[in-house]
Amino acid sequence: MSEMVVKKTRSRSRARKTSLGITYVLLIVLGIIWLVPLIWIVLSAFRCEYQPDGTFIGTVTSNFFPKAYGLKNFQDLFTATYYGVPKAFPRWMLNTLIIAIIDCVISTFLVLSVAYCMSKLKFKMRKPFMNISMIIGLFPGFMSMIAIYFLLKSIGLTGNPNHPGYSVIGLVLAYSAGAGLGFQVAKGFFDVIPNALVESAKLDGCTNFKIFMKIILPLAKPIIIYQALMSFTGPWMDFIFAKVIIGADNAAYWTVSVGLYSLLFGTHPDTNLFTQFAAGCVIVAVPIVTLFMFLQQYYVEGVTAGAVKG
Amino acid sequence: MKKLISVLLVACMLLTGCSGGGDGGGNKPKPEDSKIVVWVGEESAEFYQKVCDEYVAAHPDFGYTVTVKGMDTGAVAGTVTNDPSAAADIFTVAHDNIGKLASTQCAKPFADESLIRQVKADNPASFQNVIYSTLNGKEYLYGVPYISQALFMYYNKAKVSDRQAETFEGLRDAAKAAGCKAITVTGDDGFNNSWPLLASRVPDHNTSVKIYAGAEAVSGGSKGTSNCQGDDTVAIVRWLQEYAADPNGFKWASSDGWEADLKNGGALAVIGGAWHYNSAKAALSETNLGIALIPTFTLTDAACAGLSGVKAGDVYRGGTFADCKVFMLNATSSADKYAALQTLVKYMSSKEVQNESYVNCLNVPAYVGASDYIKSCFDNGKVTESQYMLACKQVEMAEWGIPQPFLTGTLNTYYYSKNAPAVLRAIIDKTPYPTTGDVILSETESLEGIRKGLYMMEYLWMHGQNPKEFPATLPVQA
Amino acid sequence: MTTTLNKVPKKKNIDLLEPLKERISNFRKRFEDGSIGTKLSHFIFGAGNFYHKQYVKGAIFLLLQIAIIRFMVFCPSINDTPYGWKALYNLSLTHLSEGGDFDPVTGAFTIGSDCKLIILFGFVTIAVIIMYFMIWEMNIASSFKADMDEKIGKKPTSFRDDLRELLDSRFHITMLTPTCIAALVFTILPTIFMIALAFTTYNSQDMNDIGTNLFHWNGIQNFRAVFTGEGSLGVEIKNRFLPVLGWTFIWAIFATLTCYFGGIILALLINKKGLKGKKFFRTVFIFTIAVPQFISLLAVRNLLGEYGPINSMLVNLGWIAKPIGFLGLHPSDSEKIAKIMVIIVNMWVGVPYTMLMTSGILMNIPADLYEAARVDGASTVKMFTKITLPYVIFVTTPYLISSFVGNINSFNTIFLLTGGGPAYTGYQAGGTDLLVTWLYKVTIDQGSYNTGAVIGIFTFLITATITLVTYRRSKAYNEEDTFQ
Repeated sequence: MSEMVVKKTRSRSRARKTSLGITYVLLIVLGIIWLVPLIWIVLSAFRCEYQPDGTFIGTVTSNFFPKAYGLKNFQDLFTATYYGVPKAFPRWMLNTLIIAIIDCVISTFLVLSVAYCMSKLKFKMRKPFMNISMIIGLFPGFMSMIAIYFLLKSIGLTGNPNHPGYSVIGLVLAYSAGAGLGFQVAKGFFDVIPNALVESAKLDGCTNFKIFMKIILPLAKPIIIYQALMSFTGPWMDFIFAKVIIGADNAAYWTVSVGLYSLLFGTHPDTNLFTQFAAGCVIVAVPIVTLFMFLQQYYVEGVTAGAVKG
Repeated sequence: MKKLISVLLVACMLLTGCSGGGDGGGNKPKPEDSKIVVWVGEESAEFYQKVCDEYVAAHPDFGYTVTVKGMDTGAVAGTVTNDPSAAADIFTVAHDNIGKLASTQCAKPFADESLIRQVKADNPASFQNVIYSTLNGKEYLYGVPYISQALFMYYNKAKVSDRQAETFEGLRDAAKAAGCKAITVTGDDGFNNSWPLLASRVPDHNTSVKIYAGAEAVSGGSKGTSNCQGDDTVAIVRWLQEYAADPNGFKWASSDGWEADLKNGGALAVIGGAWHYNSAKAALSETNLGIALIPTFTLTDAACAGLSGVKAGDVYRGGTFADCKVFMLNATSSADKYAALQTLVKYMSSKEVQNESYVNCLNVPAYVGASDYIKSCFDNGKVTESQYMLACKQVEMAEWGIPQPFLTGTLNTYYYSKNAPAVLRAIIDKTPYPTTGDVILSETESLEGIRKGLYMMEYLWMHGQNPKEFPATLPVQA
Repeated sequence: MTTTLNKVPKKKNIDLLEPLKERISNFRKRFEDGSIGTKLSHFIFGAGNFYHKQYVKGAIFLLLQIAIIRFMVFCPSINDTPYGWKALYNLSLTHLSEGGDFDPVTGAFTIGSDCKLIILFGFVTIAVIIMYFMIWEMNIASSFKADMDEKIGKKPTSFRDDLRELLDSRFHITMLTPTCIAALVFTILPTIFMIALAFTTYNSQDMNDIGTNLFHWNGIQNFRAVFTGEGSLGVEIKNRFLPVLGWTFIWAIFATLTCYFGGIILALLINKKGLKGKKFFRTVFIFTIAVPQFISLLAVRNLLGEYGPINSMLVNLGWIAKPIGFLGLHPSDSEKIAKIMVIIVNMWVGVPYTMLMTSGILMNIPADLYEAARVDGASTVKMFTKITLPYVIFVTTPYLISSFVGNINSFNTIFLLTGGGPAYTGYQAGGTDLLVTWLYKVTIDQGSYNTGAVIGIFTFLITATITLVTYRRSKAYNEEDTFQ
C-alpha cells in the first residue's frame, strides 16, 4: 500500500476536520446571535436595578447584563392593577389559556374534518372548494375586522357591559371560524396515507364516518398534534383582533398579548414598564416553548408536510 | 353538494335569522337600566369608583349603581366614534375632541340648569369658550371640565441647577458639562409640539400667533383668524433650529421613550405634563426630580437677521396649550338615565371632588382659584413637595398658554391631524417636507423656506389641506 | 373578487349555462309531474314531506320558511338598524335619517342612521334571501324524490335514513358544514362588506370635515382617486401607492429568498456528517419559532433601540459616534438602514423555519447521487448547486409561493419592528410600510375605510394573481389527483 493513498486519506480527513471545525464555529456564532435577543428579554425580566434613592428602574437600559437581579418584576406583574383590573396579568393568562384550549379543540377538529374530505372523499364541489378557500385566505383581514365585530355584536358576543365575558365566546368563534380553511397542511399529510387502506375498509362495509374515526384518525397523530399546537399558540400571539372583539374598555377579559402590548405602548400613570413587560414575556414564553420542545418532532413533521404541499 | 348547502343554510338560519327574529327588536346590548358606566383615565379609575360608590351610598334615591373603568383617555374619542353604543354613559376626553364627538352624534349635550350654573361659576373663561358646541343651530354645553392640563418642565436636579433650569441657555450649559442634550419632549404631536409656536415674549406675554382667534362656525373656507407668520414666530423657529442642531441642545424623544432619555442621560430635561409625573419620577428618582416652568430663551443675532419685528436679546418663554379634560355624555345612553347622569357629572366635577382627585391622583383641578387649596394641601402635608410644585408650575404655565382651539368638528382635527405638527417638525429638523399637495416644501433652512413652511401650517389650520401654491410674497397677513 | 373567482372555473365556461337550463327544466318537470304534495311544496315548505309522512323533515322545512318570512317581514333591529325588507330598502343609502333631534328636558336624543350597519345588514339580508330560494328548491327536490321513490314502489327515506347517509355517502356534508357556515359568516360576508366599502364615501376625516356621520355610495371614485389624487387621501395614494407597492415586492422577494437560502444553508450546516450535537443546535434555533412573534420582535426592537444594548455597545467600542436609528422610528432615520434591518431581523425569525423544513427533505436526497458526483470529482459547492438545490427547490415550490404571498401580507414583522417608519412627513405610509400595514394605518388609525378598502382590493388582486398563476402551474396542484 503506497504512502500516497494514506497521505491522501489523511489530508482528506484533515480537510474534513477543518471544515467540521469551521461548521462548529459557525453554528456556535449563529446560535449565539439567535439567542441573544431572547436571553436579553430574560435578563431584563430579572433585572432589579434601583436609583440611588430607591426608585425602581423599569425602562430599557443600555447595559446588556443587569447590575442586580431579583424577582420584583414578576411580583409586580402578578399583583399590579392595570386599567382598573386588580391582578390583571393572572386574569389575562387565564383568559388566554381558556380561549387557547377551546380554540385548539374546535380548530383542530375543523381542520381535520375538512382535510379528510378534501383528501379522501370524492364529491362534485371538491376542486372549487379548494380554490375558493385558498383565494378567500388572501384577503387582508383588517377590513373584515369591523364587519366581524358588528356581526358578533348583533348576536351579543362582544364586550357589552351586561355580559362582558360573552366577548370571549365571540373571540373563540372568530378564531376558530377561519381554521377550517387552513386545511392544506393536514391534507398534505392525509394524501400520503394510501388510498388502498380506505378502499379495503369500504369493501368491509365501513361507513365513511367509521373510516375517519377508526383508520384515519389513529394514523394522524402527528398532524393532530401539529394542528393542536398551532391553534393553541395562536391566541397567545394576536394583539390586534382580540382587542377589537373584546373591547378596549374590557380589560378584565383581554388576552395576555393584548395586555402585554398595552403595557409597552399604552398610557399608564407610570410608564416604566419595560422590565415588567419582559417578565410577562417570559411567563408567556416558557410554557409555549416547553410545549414546542416536547412536541418538536410532530412540529417538524407538520412543517415538512406543509412544505411539500404548500 | 345541495345537501351540503342545505345543512349549511339550516345552521346559518339558526345563527342569523332565528336569533335576530326571535326577539324582534330591541336587542340592545346596553347596560341594564340600573347601571351607569363611567370611563376616566387609568390613573383615576380607582378614585372615582370610590367617589361614585360613596355618592350612591349617600343617596339611596339615586337608583343606579356606577362602574368606573380606567381607559387610555387619548384613545377614548376614537373608541367612542367607532361604536358609541358600546361606550360608557359618561366618558372622559380632552376638550378638543368635543367638536368631533358632537358633530358625529356620539355625544349628548348637558341641559341641567344647576349643572350649567356650576360650570359657569367654577371655570375660567378660557375653558368656558371651548366646551360648547352647536346642535341644530343652538349652542349647548357638551363637556364639563374637571382636570386642567398644561405643559411644564421636568429636569434632572443632579445635573441642572435651579438657576440653569430657568433658561434654555442655562440648560445648554448644564448639558455641555454633562455631555448630552439639554431637553427633549414627550412626543411630536400637536400638543407636545406646541411650546415653540406658542412661545410669547417676557414679560408682556406678547405673540403674533393666533389660532382661530375670534372664530365663528362657518362651513368651509376660512375659520376665524389664524396667523403664525409673524417675525417673532420666524425668529423663534430659527432659534430652535439652531438649538436643535446644537450637540447640547434640543432632541426629539428617543424611540425607547423619553423616560429612557432621562434615565440614560440622553437629555437633562423634558417638557411634559402632570400625567408624566410618575414616569418622570421613576426615570429620575424622587430626589433628582425638578419641576419648573418651560424655560425662557433669548433670541440670537442669527435668529433675528433680516427680520424687522424682533431684535436680538428679546426674551421669550416657551408656551403651552392650556387644556382641560371634560366629562361628556354618550348620545346612545337611554333618556331615562339622563337626569341621573347629569347629577353624577355635577357631583364628580364639583370642587370638592376635584380637590380630592388632586390629592389622590395628582389631577390638577380645573376650577378657578384651585391654587389656594393646592397650597393648603402642601402646608398640611397631604402632598409631597414635588407634587405641590407640579400643580403650582402647571397653574403658572397655564397663564402662558391658551386652550387648544376648536369650534366645529373640524378645527381641532385640522390643527392635529392635518400635518401642521409634522411641518413644524420638518422645519425644526431642517429636513425637507415632501408635501402631499401641489406645492413642495423642499427647503426648510432659509428664511424663505421657513416662511413657506409657516404659511403651509397656517393654511392647514384654516383649510384642512395643503396650499395649492405659495403666494409670491410672504408673509401673507391673514 | 368576482373577476378572479370567475377565472377559476374558466375551463368550464361552456357548461356554465348548462346546469342553469337543466335546473329550470327540472323545476318545470317537478311541478308538472310531481304529486299534489310536491306542487304544494312550491308554496308551503315541507308540504310534500308531510304528504309522504316525512314529518321531521317537513317540519324543519316549514320552520325555516316561517323563520325567514318572519325575519323578512318583522325586521328585527339592532342598534336601531333593521334587518329584513327594511334593510334592503335602506341599502341604497338614500333614505338616511340625519338624527340629532334633542329634547333638553327629557334627554331624548335621536341618532342618525348607522351606514356601516345598514350595509352589513343589507348583505346579511340578501344572503338570507338567497338561502330562502335554495331551501325552496331543496324542499321541492326532496318531495319530488319521495314521489319518484313511491312510483317505483320504494318507501320514501325516513329521517333516520337521511341521518345515516350523512355519516356515509354524504359524510363530506357533515364534515364541511361547520367550516362552510363559519366561512360564510366570518370570512365571506365580512369580505363582501369590505369590498362594498370601497364604493362609498366612508371616510371619517371627510365626514368630520363636513360634520356628518352619514356616508353614501360613490361608485368607482375611490379607485379613480388612485390615479387622479382626489379626496382627502387621494394625494397620499397617488404619491405613495407605487413606492409602497414596489417596496412590498422587494421586501417579499428578499424576505422569501433570504429565509429560504439561509434556511437551506443552516440545515446543511446542522446536518453535516460527523457533526455532534445536531439535536442541540436544532433546538437552539427552534427557540425563535417557539417564542410568540410579538415577544421576540418587540425584544429585538428594544434591543436595537436608541438606548438599547447594541447601540450603546457600538458607541462604547467607538465604532459609531451616536446611536443609529436602526429601525427608522424617527422620521430623520435612514430608510435604507431600516429596510435592510427588517430583512435581517426577518431572517432571524424565518430562517429556523426553513431549516426545519428542509432538514427532512435533505435527508431524503438519495445518497447515491452524491456518491456518483464524488466519484466524478465534483466539489462541494458544485454538489450543492447541481444536486441539493435543484432537489430542494423542486420539492418546495409550493412552499416558496405561499411564503412569498405570506410575506406580502407580513404584518407583524413590519408593524412591531418599525411601525412602517421612517415616517414620511405628511404621509401615512412610511419608508418600510407594506401595503398591509399601510392599510392598517389608513383604516384603523385614520378611519378612511373607503381608501383602505381600495388598498385592500389591490393587495388582494396582486396576491391572488400571483397565487393562481403560479399555483395552478405547479406540479403539486396539477398532479394533486394522482394521489387519489
